Amino acid sequence: MTNRIAELRKARKISQAELADGVDVTRQTIISLESGRYNASLLLAHKIAKYFGLTIEEVFLFEEETT
Amino acid sequence: MKDFLKKTSPYVMFAAAWTLILAAILLGERVPAQINLVLFTLGGVLMGFGAVGIALSRIRLSPEQQKEYERGETDERNVAIREKAAMSSWYWTLYMLWAVFMVIQIFVGGLWGVAISVVIVLHCAFYMVNIHRWNKKL
Repeated sequence: MTNRIAELRKARKISQAELADGVDVTRQTIISLESGRYNASLLLAHKIAKYFGLTIEEVFLFEEETT
Repeated sequence: MKDFLKKTSPYVMFAAAWTLILAAILLGERVPAQINLVLFTLGGVLMGFGAVGIALSRIRLSPEQQKEYERGETDERNVAIREKAAMSSWYWTLYMLWAVFMVIQIFVGGLWGVAISVVIVLHCAFYMVNIHRWNKKL
């Protein structure tokens, strides 16, 4: 799963700390989400999408695994 | 109530520690050495927990730092890290106990072998109890 958090955040000129504050997580969590090391829970994904005024699908890109 | 207990427990532990240590000193040779050892050990452990608890309660944080600290406690990534770390620790402890068990069985045997077997069984039993508990909760 990839996400557009860094792209959306930079477009809106929001710092990682501000976003972290807005969705009630630590800045480290935002860093990990942006780098793709950590996948957000459904609750956090919902909070982040709501923060940007978008849907979850618009922020988080689910890639179906190819076998 | 929970908050009250959280605030007072370090002081209670600290006082209990001194009571146990004083009891061990005052009782001296009037009680068996094992009892004295238990009193000193329990006193030492409680003293450690109490002192650390009191020291932590004295740390004053600014409202921002306090908020950041509380956020760190409930942050979902931190929770996931703690869960994964706990799981890894459980496995590592189990491997270590098995290694100790093998060494003891080969070189020492006897009661130590039985003791380490009990520890391994308890280690696994606590795990299964917690799996059952969380299975009901989630």
